[in-house]
Amino acid sequence: MTVQTGATQAILETADSLRWQIGREFHEHLMEDIYTDATHIADRAVTRPDEKPRFDLDRTIDRLVTSRIFGFPLMILLFTIVFWLTISGANVPSSWLATLLLDTIHPLLKQGAAAIGMPWWLDGFLIDGMYLATAWVVSVMLPPMAIFFPLFTLLEDFGYLPRVAFNLDNAFKKSGAHGKQALSMMMGFGCNAAGVVATRVIDSPRERLIAIITNNFALCNGRWPTQILIASIFIGGLVPAYLGGLISALSVVAIALLGVLFTFLVSWSLSRTLLKGEVSTFSLELPPYRPPRIWQTIYTSVIDRTLIVLWRAITFAMPAGAVIWLTANVTIGGTSVVEYVINFLNPLGILVGLNGVILVAYIFAIPANEIVIPTILMLTVLVTGAGGGAGAGVMFELESQADTLALFYADGWTLLTAVNLMLFSLIHNPCSTTIYTIYKETGSKKWTAVASLLPVVMGFVVTFFVAQIWRLVAGIG
Amino acid sequence: MPDPLIALGTAVLIITLAAFLFWPEHGWLARWRQTNQLNERIRSEDALKHIHKFEMKGRRPTLESISGALNNSQNDTAQLIAAMQANNFLTVADGEIHLTPQGRDSALHIIRAHRLWERYLAEETGFQQSEWHGQAELAEHRLTPAQADALAFHLGNPTHDPHGDPIPTADGALVAHGGQPLTTLPLDSPGLIVHLEDEPEVIYAQLAAEDLHPGMVVRVTESAPERVRFWSNGDEHLVAPIVAGNISVIPLPEDEMEEDTDGCERLTCLSPGETAVVVNISNASRGPERRRFMDLGILPGTSITAEMRSPGGDPTAYIIRGALIALRHEQANLIKVKKTGD
Repeated sequence: MTVQTGATQAILETADSLRWQIGREFHEHLMEDIYTDATHIADRAVTRPDEKPRFDLDRTIDRLVTSRIFGFPLMILLFTIVFWLTISGANVPSSWLATLLLDTIHPLLKQGAAAIGMPWWLDGFLIDGMYLATAWVVSVMLPPMAIFFPLFTLLEDFGYLPRVAFNLDNAFKKSGAHGKQALSMMMGFGCNAAGVVATRVIDSPRERLIAIITNNFALCNGRWPTQILIASIFIGGLVPAYLGGLISALSVVAIALLGVLFTFLVSWSLSRTLLKGEVSTFSLELPPYRPPRIWQTIYTSVIDRTLIVLWRAITFAMPAGAVIWLTANVTIGGTSVVEYVINFLNPLGILVGLNGVILVAYIFAIPANEIVIPTILMLTVLVTGAGGGAGAGVMFELESQADTLALFYADGWTLLTAVNLMLFSLIHNPCSTTIYTIYKETGSKKWTAVASLLPVVMGFVVTFFVAQIWRLVAGIG
Repeated sequence: MPDPLIALGTAVLIITLAAFLFWPEHGWLARWRQTNQLNERIRSEDALKHIHKFEMKGRRPTLESISGALNNSQNDTAQLIAAMQANNFLTVADGEIHLTPQGRDSALHIIRAHRLWERYLAEETGFQQSEWHGQAELAEHRLTPAQADALAFHLGNPTHDPHGDPIPTADGALVAHGGQPLTTLPLDSPGLIVHLEDEPEVIYAQLAAEDLHPGMVVRVTESAPERVRFWSNGDEHLVAPIVAGNISVIPLPEDEMEEDTDGCERLTCLSPGETAVVVNISNASRGPERRRFMDLGILPGTSITAEMRSPGGDPTAYIIRGALIALRHEQANLIKVKKTGD
């Protein structure tokens, strides 16, 4: 700007020499002093009439829920109740919705389309493809979401969830994670996308990324039906009928616990490799207990969830339904496109103890895991040419488990296929909603790619080793 | 379907091979990158750094000392020196090696980049203290002067790196830390740690394990040929003289040393129900973590009461300014307190 005069030169030199004299951590000291001054001013200006920060009731509840004896049992009890209410409570509205959307409206739409003389391909594309997939996702997903999330929100509003994080922090700390990851993991059992959003409560960048990447190992709502069906027809069928229910329930729980184990293992290795240099600061606020506002919570939660599920069904499941119907009905040289893909993927599927149909179903189910079983059934009928299906590209579920079992055996399924399907259902890429949410939350393509690809690679590795060892032990499977 | 045994064998083979190739730090890829990085420029920059360091200490750099620092054969080093001489980085006269002004500028830039990078790692990443030096050794060759300036600006033009070494300014001004080895400090008189030598790594790891940082007050209680015993921040430390020699201190006036209290000087030693007043936050806590503490209102003079411990044994919840906040053991250990009776 201007020529430096002797005076400015002198000032700059003085500043330079002072810079070395003001002391090392002068920024830190300055900031500390500003904070300290601010608190002094605040302490002088703010009067607290009766200095009684912690109420006795709060203290008593805290002593109980974090006690060495009652802390953990109480926690297990509460969460068991939440899951039991969700699973058993969702059955009834789920079957209502299924009756309404799949058994009543679907035939009506078909009749209507026939009445106005709609060509078969348009009718199939719109009604059997797009409508059916959407309806399926809504009927499977909406009721559990509408029950699970309000319950969870109530626990959170009351102030109990931060205490869970407090109790479990030591376990998570050992794997390099944050205690609050317990909460986002629990949310993940409802919906991984919601679980990823829930990681916002973790304020430490590294621990938050760990929680986002590992959330997929919490077995979400859309995957429970697959686990329950496969466990009850294959694993429950191995033991006498009166034990069947118990054993299949236990095997599903075992898969869910395996997911928790993977959460810890992956957290541990991520914090030591990929995420080594990310910043970590821990602090956990335990807010005072408050009486939850029950009706308001239930109302907003139900409305929110319904909207989210509907939005998801329309934006993700509807196009998927269209693609499924098209690939099953567009034929090249008398064979549908989907059969080419199945035949192409079959060797890989067989190698890892699954088959081509299952892999294709998982590609179709990237938008919504709920449609895995109906898609597998539809494709199996298409491939084997067995009766009982509802037509190419039309998803369905069989009324009786025996029929389902028979259909699967006809396509060469074994117990290994069932076990590996359960494993793969636990360990594979997150659904597109979750991937999209991860991208929005992290704002990073790199971490989105890691979160999406890591589980699917792990899934192939795990099923591959299980398949080979199984075949070695069982002779040939 | 392939034979399971063959499939299994192939998979194990592939995984072993992949691990061999891509294992972090020890894999083939990592090693290949390392050797590739040891090109002419990097070795010449390392040599400049070494010569500058010796000049600062008033010692004479020799062919042997440079070979030792670069881990090179003397033949290679002689070639390197010839090349550097041709590039006008140094002069060799009467067997003495001297930096040219251009060589000194380059050396100062490398040192500046190295120390800024260490500061950056300490302030803004979660890397461990022991990892800073190694990473800075690589980063110093990557940063251009313009990038170093941008980094310095971003960090608020820090004067010292986290070990207490002064960071040269962009014009190359550099002051010494001015400390003397801890071993030369008179017994029982207080001193302020101004610098911890980060080379060799083995000794630095011991200093890091003792939880010593620049800015801490120390007092030597015993100085024998086989061990040095000193107090700092309420803890007693016992190290070998060679380790103590890598700690630089400046003597403090006698009254700067606070008298020892009853032994409870960290937040961690409070049992539930006990109250203490914060004295300060340890210098080991830096960057985002330190700011988080201050955000929570943990400042000198704040009164903190331990409330309850997690059934897992850690963390512990403290009442800080009316809010109940859980802190982990390592964090609470960074907060120096003075216990008050209640």
